[in-house]
Amino acid sequence: MRRKLATVIAGVCLFLAAVPVWAHHAFDAEFDAKKPVKFRGTVTKMEWINPHAWIHIDVKGDDGKVVNWMIEAAAPNALLRRGWTKTSLLAGTEILVEGFQAKNGTNRANGSLITFADGKKLFVGSSGDGAPPNSTEK
Amino acid sequence: MLVGVFDALFLAALSAAGQTSAPRLPRMPDGKPNLTGLWQALGTAYWDIQDHIAQPGPFFQLGAIGAIPPGQGIVEGNEIPYQPWAGQKKKENFVNRLTLDPEIKCYMPGVPRGTYMPFPFQIVESPQNIVIAYEYATANRVINMGKPREASVDTWMGTSNGHWEGDALVVDVTGLNGQSWLDRAGNFASENVHIVERYTLADPDHLNYEATIEDKTVFTRPWKISLPLYRRKEKNAQITEFKCVEFAEELIYGNLRKQTK
Amino acid sequence: MSRRLLVVIAAVLLVSVAVAGQTPAPARQTAPSSRQTTPVPKTATKSWAPPKTAWGDPDLQGTWTSDDSIGVPLQRPATIGERLVATDAEIAQREVNITRQSQADEQEFAAPNARAGTGPPGHWGERARRPSKQTSLIVDPPDGRIPALTAEGQKKQAEAAAARIGAGVGGRPAASWEDFTYYIRCITRGVTGSIFPVIYGNGAQIVQSPGYVTILHEMVHEARIIPLDGRPHAGPNIRTYMGDSRGHWEGNTLVIETTNFLADKTGIGLNGGGTPTSDALRLVERYSRTDANTINYEVTIDDPKTYTRPWKVAFPITQEPGYSLFEYACHEGNYAMVDMLSGARAEEKAAEEAAKQKK
Repeated sequence: MRRKLATVIAGVCLFLAAVPVWAHHAFDAEFDAKKPVKFRGTVTKMEWINPHAWIHIDVKGDDGKVVNWMIEAAAPNALLRRGWTKTSLLAGTEILVEGFQAKNGTNRANGSLITFADGKKLFVGSSGDGAPPNSTEK
Repeated sequence: MLVGVFDALFLAALSAAGQTSAPRLPRMPDGKPNLTGLWQALGTAYWDIQDHIAQPGPFFQLGAIGAIPPGQGIVEGNEIPYQPWAGQKKKENFVNRLTLDPEIKCYMPGVPRGTYMPFPFQIVESPQNIVIAYEYATANRVINMGKPREASVDTWMGTSNGHWEGDALVVDVTGLNGQSWLDRAGNFASENVHIVERYTLADPDHLNYEATIEDKTVFTRPWKISLPLYRRKEKNAQITEFKCVEFAEELIYGNLRKQTK
Repeated sequence: MSRRLLVVIAAVLLVSVAVAGQTPAPARQTAPSSRQTTPVPKTATKSWAPPKTAWGDPDLQGTWTSDDSIGVPLQRPATIGERLVATDAEIAQREVNITRQSQADEQEFAAPNARAGTGPPGHWGERARRPSKQTSLIVDPPDGRIPALTAEGQKKQAEAAAARIGAGVGGRPAASWEDFTYYIRCITRGVTGSIFPVIYGNGAQIVQSPGYVTILHEMVHEARIIPLDGRPHAGPNIRTYMGDSRGHWEGNTLVIETTNFLADKTGIGLNGGGTPTSDALRLVERYSRTDANTINYEVTIDDPKTYTRPWKVAFPITQEPGYSLFEYACHEGNYAMVDMLSGARAEEKAAEEAAKQKK
């Protein structure tokens, strides 16, 4: 019995095959892992477009100058089904963004971690790490 | 007097015959007209929804093929009541149309432009939903025939809520993102546009289309377009696919292609 | 033999017999599962028949999603062998994952060990609502794995893999948009790629009319128009990405045959990846509604130029309260393509400059 159970557990652990469920697109082609960014900005607008929504923010640099950044967010479809509406993120809202800058050097970054100024997640109904639900890896 | 009676009887017989020869429309089990089928506009409204003469095209190398055909417009009254700033913008759109026209980039046509593109579209009608699938760019939209729903965000093909008024399908379109044009001549509306379409079968093979366009930020008053749509009658008529992204990639991304030295 | 093993064998027997289309053998007593799990695909049972449309066709209308199969691998891990049905332990683990995910989703503050990455953050994904009961999406061959490729198929697979090296995976910067998949280019995911479950965009809306079924796929805004009147397929020179479909009813099951595919475009993988299929590809899909909120979807892939035998994928799609399709315009907003190509050119320029300075 124990040997059978061990076989079952082994099967379970091997369940998460290297299937690229998350290989949505070539992220490493777009963002540079060597250029982390972290800043506080004020939302100017949200572009509700596919394949990804983009959050436009004004970021005040140390020199006092304001620079515009575009932050890549989830597809609107996923956000809308999570209860977001077009008024969920209004201009003037302050957010904190952590991500990586675009490889082309422009003021674009992926919104890997986005919170409000008080630290609350922007995308509640979302988590920072997404283990595929139907994997059986512990 | 006998002749008069005869005339009257003759006329009555004629008018009775006229009534029984009115076209019988295809109908759904619930009695509503069935608009299902493959439809296409004729004419050249896709070049310019107003009256326009034959003109040279942008590339002389294409000779007559690349020229712009003439055509009568589909705008009732032939005038588009732009506010002054918008009339100016339309002119700029026209001058810069090679770079600005979203159709060139294979962007979705929006409403009402999709209706009179030089490509057919398929209507599939059910009581709860009516699908319009455009061959151009495989754009499509679903007309909700149930309780009207608000647009959650602005989109290229808008949010459509429909209902029947007698035998006319009336579609209320909101939530357009204002980024598509109305034709290749640079006519446009903004994301504030509100369009009311009417689809009415004149007979089984002709669908009369009207659209009232209202946008207080662009026009001085509502205005209307109308044109007939023709059922594609070829024995093997069916929608195919014009997935045009591949034809626009060189144009959009060509400057980012790796240069071989 | 342990009782647990008996249970597993009985379940597998039931499933494999049902998948073969025969009436189930008399069932051994299986331990009843108290959980709501997504049913393993089998032919529609006679005890429930779908309602009919006003013109008498089985009614499959609604908006359906493959969300409950998110994360089920296309191919079964070889160590599991010929077991399609997940064990109780595996299902329990999946339920734990779903619960944990749901709890993490609801947390107001990010986990203290949360770190930014370049990949898609968790909030991008949509969620399974119930654990799947399958070990793989492939249900035939019995080992749940893609059959061997023909020689031509292997050649196409090698070419596709070499091209993918350009897509940032493996380091070589992309030379042009042609190095990316048809999905990343916002063109199409193909027929199977438009319905196989991925991290988001899994919606499909079915609308019916006398003589037609339409299936709208959210990603990438496909509208499949399927005539039911028995007309022949288009001629062999009419070819498209989504093929040419013809449908008919077998009892309450919608059967769709699709041919006339363009060659060497998408494959039968998630998002249309995998080995590009040939112009000989023929798909036969079966949509069977087994209860008010479930359709069993099954597709047989037959491409004799690419695969040495036909194979089958199956999984359920469900209706969920409040779930509707949203427009997925894609190409119109494809900043990512511009960023990836300009990023590649910037990397090359930086490398050139670094090389110059070394001299």
